[in-house]
Parts: sequence; structure tokens; C-alpha cells
Amino acid sequence: MELLSLFIRSAFVDNMIFAFFFGMCSYLAVSKTVKTAVGLGAAVIFVLTVTIPVNYLLENYVLKQGALTWLGDEFADMDLSFLSFIMFIAVIASIVQLVEMIVEKFSPALYGALGIFLPLIAVNCAIMGGALFMQEKQFPTIGHATIYGLGSGVGWFIAVVLIAAIREKIRYSHVPAPLRGVGMAFILTGLMGLAFLGFMGFEL
Amino acid sequence: MKFLRNIFDNAHAALNKSEKTKKYFPLVDSLDTLMFTPNHVTKSGAHVRDAIDLKRTMMFVILALIPALLFGMYNVGVQHYLALGESFTFMEAFGHGALRVLPLIVVSYGVGLGIEFIFAIKNGHAVQEGFLVSGMLIPLIMPVDTPLWMVGVGTAFAVVIGKEVFGGTGMNVMNVALTARAFLFFSYPTKMSGNEVWISGFKEMKNDGTLVDGITGATPLGDLAAIGKEGASFTSLEGFNQAGHSLMDLFYGLYPGSIGETSVLAILLGAIFLLKTGIASWKIMFSFFFGGYLMALLFNGIGGSEYFALPAINQVMLGGFMFGMVFMITDPVTAAQTSTGKYIYGFLGGALAILIRVVNPAYPEGVMLAILIANVFAPLIDHMVVSANIKRRLKRVKTA
Repeated sequence: MELLSLFIRSAFVDNMIFAFFFGMCSYLAVSKTVKTAVGLGAAVIFVLTVTIPVNYLLENYVLKQGALTWLGDEFADMDLSFLSFIMFIAVIASIVQLVEMIVEKFSPALYGALGIFLPLIAVNCAIMGGALFMQEKQFPTIGHATIYGLGSGVGWFIAVVLIAAIREKIRYSHVPAPLRGVGMAFILTGLMGLAFLGFMGFEL
Repeated sequence: MKFLRNIFDNAHAALNKSEKTKKYFPLVDSLDTLMFTPNHVTKSGAHVRDAIDLKRTMMFVILALIPALLFGMYNVGVQHYLALGESFTFMEAFGHGALRVLPLIVVSYGVGLGIEFIFAIKNGHAVQEGFLVSGMLIPLIMPVDTPLWMVGVGTAFAVVIGKEVFGGTGMNVMNVALTARAFLFFSYPTKMSGNEVWISGFKEMKNDGTLVDGITGATPLGDLAAIGKEGASFTSLEGFNQAGHSLMDLFYGLYPGSIGETSVLAILLGAIFLLKTGIASWKIMFSFFFGGYLMALLFNGIGGSEYFALPAINQVMLGGFMFGMVFMITDPVTAAQTSTGKYIYGFLGGALAILIRVVNPAYPEGVMLAILIANVFAPLIDHMVVSANIKRRLKRVKTA
């Protein structure tokens, strides 16, 4: 029940896009059609679900103050958290590369469908943001961290697919010339954020 | 549409019978023009049977809103005099309400149509009639004590950001009236929620000490949400139901709330008219109701707080649920367009409305945000339905 609540909260209440405006660059770039949005969204779910638990282990067994105690008592005072940014980035980038290779080897069809999106994810700030939130929230177990990653990914997926569908629809509208494209996407994101405020404050 | 045509034809014939009634002819005729011009139809073959256009559609919706509007004015007066503890006649109550509500309508139409004119001149097209309905809906979903400038600001935001940037009437993604309300709700929460905005002149009465004891000014939903908390008007659901919130009370709607939302009776009159003329989609209305009802039943099953235990039928009669069901979720521009999509869209809206209302303590009422979320989901629902159709047909072609 607690995990379910965490999942719903991370997907809807603390939605990466509408609550924190994370991962905006790829969100704006690939939301022109639903098909590409689904591709990137799926990739983000996958990568978030894998990187956050790995970063969780890193945080708890290497970086945090006293995390290195398993090496020996003399490391108990060691605090490496100033390294967390660069470590997280390195983990994310390497895992994305690894995932790319694995997917290419075992499922060429999926690899073809995801195309350029997989490597793009390495620089998606939602992934980094997820890792940093994980650090801040101090989850008790790795299970919580995994569910949090999955939920955040699903939230990002929903957001990008929703705006892609709307952008496909408003292609036939008489949007004023200066606002066409990205301008409209920003306004839409704001309006959708207004609607998504309905989830804010859910007590589950 | 046919029954309306018959009414007008009969009225014309009846008026023409005697000299005395003939002078009322222009009245009936102008109503007829409002609702049935233009009406160019093809003379033979299966072609255009009724040339209903934007203007006529909008007039029908406004007509459907009139019962709720008139009842809203009366209710504003009644609540005002009840809070003052003075006796009142029907006309006094109605007069007070009209004086409070008409300025809101004037401001909303003035600001909205003004902006529409500017955009029409700038873009070089004729003014579209789409704002006529939004301009009427905006005052009806406001608390009566909303300052006029706020109505103006909200309307301006909704018309410019909610509609004109998309290219005007028929292009918007989210319901214009609800965008205005949501904007004001989040920008000025103290003026749009709480207990002190639902009765006209409540704050002055409170300051002057003329308020009748026991009148808190809370809406039934506010009271419900407060059950079991400190300073609540009621301690149990039974007490709540007995104190003027029985099913019939909710049906007639003489309680504090947004101007047009309280009376289920008046709203259903409008609903019958909209369904009979075919303006609103019965699929959306039905599935919205079904979604909300099912969600309320589910909460009944879970049990727990008093809010969860409220009977489903009471739950859907409360607050803005009915108003949203009839006038908001059915807005043909922002709703799902596909037939299957309409069921999903309505169901989503109704279920979310009750979910937000019951589970989210931050908002005593969830209909506004639920409908906005449903609006956001509508294009995706359409996309899914269409691509599912394509897939199914492709399969059929391949197997054949």
C-alpha cells in the first residue's frame, strides 16, 4: 500500500514535467507526434527505473557520510557527497550506453523504434533530477527507490504523450504565427500544469 | 429540433388569430430569428435538413442556462436575507440577487467580447459567437462575492491564453470558462474558496455583527469536508443530512454555493433542453454521471471517514457536479470527438471529480479540475481510439 501510494504520488502529484518542469528539452523536442513521444517516454521509464536504484546503492554504500563503513572503521567519517553530481551523471551515462548495447543486441526491433532517443536520454534532466530527488528523499529500501523511479518515469511518459496528442490536434488550428511550435508548447504546458494542480495535495 | 419548430409555428398561428395578441408577434418572431436563422435547407433528396450554425448553437446553450441563472439570482437573495435574519418576499430576494449577479455578467461579457473584437480586427475575421456561452458560464461558476475586477482579469486570461492563442473559437483545448475559474482559484485562493465568499455581503455582515447566529457561510461540501475536524458545523453525517441537506434539499438547491451550480432541478431543465435539441452529447453526460456514481459507490465500499460514507446519489447531487456534467464536460470543442472516446472521456471526468473531491483535502470540490484534466486527456483518447480502429481494420484486410 505504501509503495502504491509512492508510485501514484511520483507519477501524478510530483509529476516531473508539470510540478518540477524537468526534462523540458526533450519533452519539447520530441512531442510533435504521439509515436515519437511514446518511444522516448518508454525509454525514459526504462532508464529511470534502472538508474535510480543503481544510484541509490551508490549513494548508500559509497557517497553518504559513513557509507564507507563496510570498508573498515577508519572510513566512518568519510563524506563523499560532494562527488554525487559527477558520480550520478557518470552512472546515468554509462547505464544508458549499456542499455543501448543490450537492446541493440537482443531486440533490434525495439532498438530501431527508439532510435536516437536512447542516447538522448543521457542528457535528459528528468533522469538526473530523479537521482537527486532520490538522494534528498532518503528512501528506506532499494524497493522504494525503484518504485519511485518507475513512477517518475510513468509521470514523464504521460506528460509527453498528452502534449504530443494535443500538438497533433492543434496543428489544424490558426495559431498566431509567432507562437507556432515551441511557443505554443510552452503555453500548453502551463495550461496543463494548471489542470494537473488538481492532483496536488493528494493524501493516499 | 422539430419540437421547437412546432412550438414556434403554433405560437405564430395562435398570435395571428386575433388583433389583440398580434402586437406580441415581434417578440416571438425575434426569438424565432435568434434560434432558427439561418435555416437554409435543401428542398429535395437527403441533404441538409437543418442549417444549424455557431450562432444558433450558442443561443440554444444560453437558453438552457437561463433556468440555472434565474434560480441562481433567487438563491443569492435568499441566502443573503437568511444570513441577515430578515423576512423577505420572493421579489425582494430575486431583486437582490439580480443586482448582485448582473454586474458579474456585464463585466464578463464586456471584457471577453472586447478582447474578441480586438483579435477579430487584428486577424481580419468576423467576430465569432463562441464567447457568448463562456461569458455566461463564467459568472455562473463564480462565488457571488467575487470582486468585479477579478472576474475581468480571469475572463481576460481565459480568452487570451485559453482561446485566442489557439486561433479562437473552436480551437481551444481547455474549457474557457473553467480556465478562467481555475486561474482565479489558484491566483486568489482566499477570494475564491473558504467559507466567507458564498453569501452576498457575508464579510460586511460579519464585521457589523448583523450575522444570524449559526450561519457559517460554508457550502455543504465545505461542511462535509470539515466533519470530524475542529470547529465543524456538524459532527456526523446524520446531523448533516437533517440540517437541510437531505436529498430533496440538494435537488432544489437553496444553499450557499457558486451562483449557478446549486439547483439540480434548474440544471436538469437545461439538460433536457440540450439533449432534446441534440446540442450536448448524451454519451458524455451519461458516462460522466456513471463515472462519478461508480466512484462514490467505491468509496462507500471502502468506508472510513464521513465523506467516504456519503450515499452515492447525494454525492453526485452536491456542489458543481451536475453543472459540470450538463454544461462543462459536454462542451463539444474540448470534449473527445470519437464516439467510443466520448464514453471514456466522460467516465474519466466523472470519476476524477469524485476522487479529487473526496481524497484531496486541499480542494473541497474537484469538478473544475477534473474536467480540465479530462480536457487535457481528450486528444490522447481520440488518438488511441482512432489508431485502435486503424489497427483493427488493417487486421481485417490482412486476414481477408
